[in-house]
Formats: sequence, structure tokens, C-alpha cells
Amino acid sequence: MTSQGDGLMPIVQAQALSKWYGQVIGLNGFALRVMPGITGIVGPNGSGKSTFFKLILGLIKPNAGSISVLGEIPWKNPNLHSSIGFCPDYESLPSDSTGREYLTLIGKLQMMHGTALSNRIREVVRLVDMERALDRKTGGYSKGMKQRMKIAGALLHDPKLLILDEPLSGTDPLVRKDLIDLIKMINKDHGHDIIVSSHVLFEIERMTHNVALIYRGRAVASGDIAEIRNLMDRHPHNIIIEGEKATALAKALLDEDYVVSVALNDNKDSLTVQVSKPDDFFNGLPALIDKTQCSVSTMYSLDDNLEAVFRYLVGR
Amino acid sequence: MDIKRVVVGIQALTFYSTKKLLLGNKAVITVLVALFVAAVMVYAGSQSDRPLEDGTNLMDTLILFFFMPVMAMIFGSSLIRDEIDDKSITHVATAPLDRAFSYLGYYLPLGIATAISMVAIITVGWVGFFGQHGIGPDELGIYLDFVALVVIGSFVYSSLFLAISVLFSKPVMFGLFYAFIWEGYIGSLPGAIQNASVKHYLRSLGSEWVKFGDISGWVQASSAWSSALVLLVVTIFFLILGIYLFREKELA
Repeated sequence: MTSQGDGLMPIVQAQALSKWYGQVIGLNGFALRVMPGITGIVGPNGSGKSTFFKLILGLIKPNAGSISVLGEIPWKNPNLHSSIGFCPDYESLPSDSTGREYLTLIGKLQMMHGTALSNRIREVVRLVDMERALDRKTGGYSKGMKQRMKIAGALLHDPKLLILDEPLSGTDPLVRKDLIDLIKMINKDHGHDIIVSSHVLFEIERMTHNVALIYRGRAVASGDIAEIRNLMDRHPHNIIIEGEKATALAKALLDEDYVVSVALNDNKDSLTVQVSKPDDFFNGLPALIDKTQCSVSTMYSLDDNLEAVFRYLVGR
Repeated sequence: MDIKRVVVGIQALTFYSTKKLLLGNKAVITVLVALFVAAVMVYAGSQSDRPLEDGTNLMDTLILFFFMPVMAMIFGSSLIRDEIDDKSITHVATAPLDRAFSYLGYYLPLGIATAISMVAIITVGWVGFFGQHGIGPDELGIYLDFVALVVIGSFVYSSLFLAISVLFSKPVMFGLFYAFIWEGYIGSLPGAIQNASVKHYLRSLGSEWVKFGDISGWVQASSAWSSALVLLVVTIFFLILGIYLFREKELA
């Protein structure tokens, strides 16, 4: 169970929660208490993170068990949506609308209108640094811009609880850093409780020390990240980096003591880095990219190692 | 229930979706159909020596009989399904608005957009045909009668096709079957079987209103009141069915 904020009421509480789609199990006897603050939900792809979020939002109903959000049952409870902002992991922006049209619709559905709505739109797009792209069609946004606009939509009505499903997915390292800073700032300066998911523990670690690990539809561990990280650090992590001038970046990485090995892949613009201290790696990477002028287009952790840790955690 | 929230929510969805339907990709279909109807009716008008009869028959068979259900199917049968599939329905599904009202926020713009498209098509066809022969009170009466029929038809068919778009995972296939096979074929068969089509009741209303063409003397027509009642019941039935399905639907 997450322990942050002892003595406070949990914002989400799931007990023996199960959800399956035909033969496929989404969640199975899932139990978790999420306390106020930032909580990270970490698990490999297909572990049940998005299913958990859909249950929180009342988009799907549980097959067994119970879930309460801010003290209420979410299924068929649209009033609860006044208190929740949701940024999905998929592309949900209407591509033929501008950012302003999208935010205006969201605002009106939340009973905002007139000058108050215009001012709030201006405020949130400034917060997510999307002022200049507000009147462009969202179909032309980059991945990072789409993520920012989705976060703006989730924040618009100033909800108590913010659900961010894989907000860093598919973004480059510099955008990731900006988004992580933004998420921390939203919690610290604006007081929103945030539940954020990722399949990379070390990304979550940069936002919060309070995590829950999900694997095959179950919460296998939760609490302070330091304890979980110790388990993770016993397993070297492989990270794929793709982009121009990858060779220069590979040379620079070899000088770092947290790097175990660097291998250039068949495509010379792609390398695999094995690191012993992923947090040091993620913290140091932006400076190395800047120094080598490497243009990174993609970066991701291989799930294999995470799977290994999860298998270890569940004793398989 | 917060009535103000409901009204504002439905208004917002109606405005947004109407604009999307009228100015989005489907606008191209409206333009193409309007051009086709204009071409057919301009040519037919140039060949006609009984314009009131021939023009009315064309507006009946070409527009009310054929394009009315087809256009409603094109606009409606995938409206909600498309948003479920591309997941842009998320902002509606996570809004603080009961899904029954969200559904109305799809139905109203669908009816409005279909009606505007059909009125545009019928206007182009009417001008193309009757413009060649001079427009007087009779021609204007024909125009207004058919405008009323396509507006009514738009809201009836929209109710039906919107329910289809929630009921089926491949609604376009069923929509095509309904528009072309059921409405197009079954609705044209002699005998009582055609009473099972929406088109029969629309044309029955038309036979009461329109003073020219075959439709004015249509012997199989049902009475105007019973037709109006059937159309109203069909609309409400499919609205309630669609609302029920949409409220129960899991958006995985």
C-alpha cells in the first residue's frame, strides 16, 4: 500500500478489483490505496495500468471487487468527472480541431464559459508552454506538443485529481525533462493530486518516491521507491537510443562510470547502452546530448529487464 | 440534476459536432451529391414539357426516395463509432455529463447537419429543374413541401442510424444494408411490406402535402396523422434504445 500522507483519506481505493475482456485479464484481484500527492504506477506494457485508469474514470465497470475515487464509485457517476482530469496514453485530440477549439469544448463541457474560460485557457496553455500553437490544428502537432495539449485539457477545469497515463511515452529526452518538471510543478505549486503511469521506473522516480508496481493485473509492490529501486539496481538496464550522431554520443557515454557497455546497433544511428545506475544516466543524458550535438529522435528502455524484476518480485 | 450544466453541455457538443459534420470530410460527399442531383435535374428540366409533374416526380424519387436515407446513413451510421474507434470520444466520456445527454449532444448535430445537407441538395436540384421554366407559387410550394419532408426525414433517420452506430461494431455495413436493401428495395415493394420502411411514412406525409406528381395520388399512402405518429414513435424508440446502449457501453 502506498504510505505517503498517512492519516489522510485515500484518493483511490481498490479492493479485490478484477476486470477481464473475454479471455484476456486486465486486472486480477487488484488491491491498492492511493494517498494524496504524486503516485507513480509502474508496470510493463499490458500489465493493467490503463485498465486501472479506465476503472478510476468509470469508462469501464469492474467484473468483481470494488473501487472508490475521492470517496465515490466511478461507474455511471459523471459528476465525479468534475474532480478528475485525464490525460490518456493514446492520441485522443480531434485532429481537425485547433488547440483552442479543443480546449473550448472541454471547458464548456465543464460548465466554463465567456471570459473566465478564455482566461483559463490562456493560463493553462502558458503553463504547458503551448501558447504559440494554440490556434494550430492538433493534427499537425508533434508528439510532445500533443502530450502538452492533452495535459492542458486535463488541467483546464482545475481538478482535484489528475490522471496521467504514460505522459512521457514517445517523447524525446528534452521533452521528457520538461514534462517531468511540469508534473512536479503542477503538484507542488497548484496542489493537484496526480497519479502517473510509466513502464520505466526511473522516469517515475524523478517525479515521486511513492510508487505502485503492477504486473499481470496485480499490484505486486507499493511504497517508497528507494526499496524497490534497490531491487531494480541489481539488474543492469538496457536502453536504446536512436538519432543522428549516435556514434559521438556513444563515445561520450563510455567515459561515464554508470555505463556498463555501449553497443552500436546495425543501424549506425542506433545504440544500446547498458547502465548500472539508471537514475544517474537519465540525469546526465541531456548534458551529454548537448555536448555531442546528437539529435536524439527516440529513446526507450527494453522491457526485458523490467519483466525480470517483476518476475523476481512475484517470485516466479 | 443540474439542468444548466446539461443544457450547456448539450449546446457545446451540438455546436462542435455540427461544425465538424458540415465542414469535415463528409462535406465533400454533400457537394458531390448536390452536383450529381443538379446535373440530373438540369438535364431532366431541359427535356420536360410537364415541369410541375416531372420535377415533382424527380424530387420524390431521386432525393426523398434515394438520397434521403443514403445521406443520413453516411452522416450517422459511424458518428459515435468513429469517435470510439479513434478514441476522440474520451473528452465526452470523461465530461461531467450523463451519457444520456451526451447522446443527445450527438443526435441533435447529426439531425441538423443531415437536414442542412439535404436542404442544400434539394435547393440545388429544385433551382436546376424549375429555374429553367420559371418559378411561381406552385413551384415554391413544391420546394417548401420537400424541404419539410427532408427535415423531418433527417431527424427520423438520424435517430435510427445513430442507434446503429452504438449497437454495431461495424455500423457502416449494417447502415448500407438498411439504406439500400431495406429502405431502397423493401420500401419499394408492392403490398403491406413497404409499411415497414421509414420511407413509406415520409412519402405518405408527402402525398398529403404535395399537389403534383405521382406522390400526390399515391394509393398506398397511409393517413397523414398515423404516418406522423409512426415517425415520431420510431424516432423516440431509437433515441431511447441508443441512449440505453450508450449509457451501458464500456469504453475500453
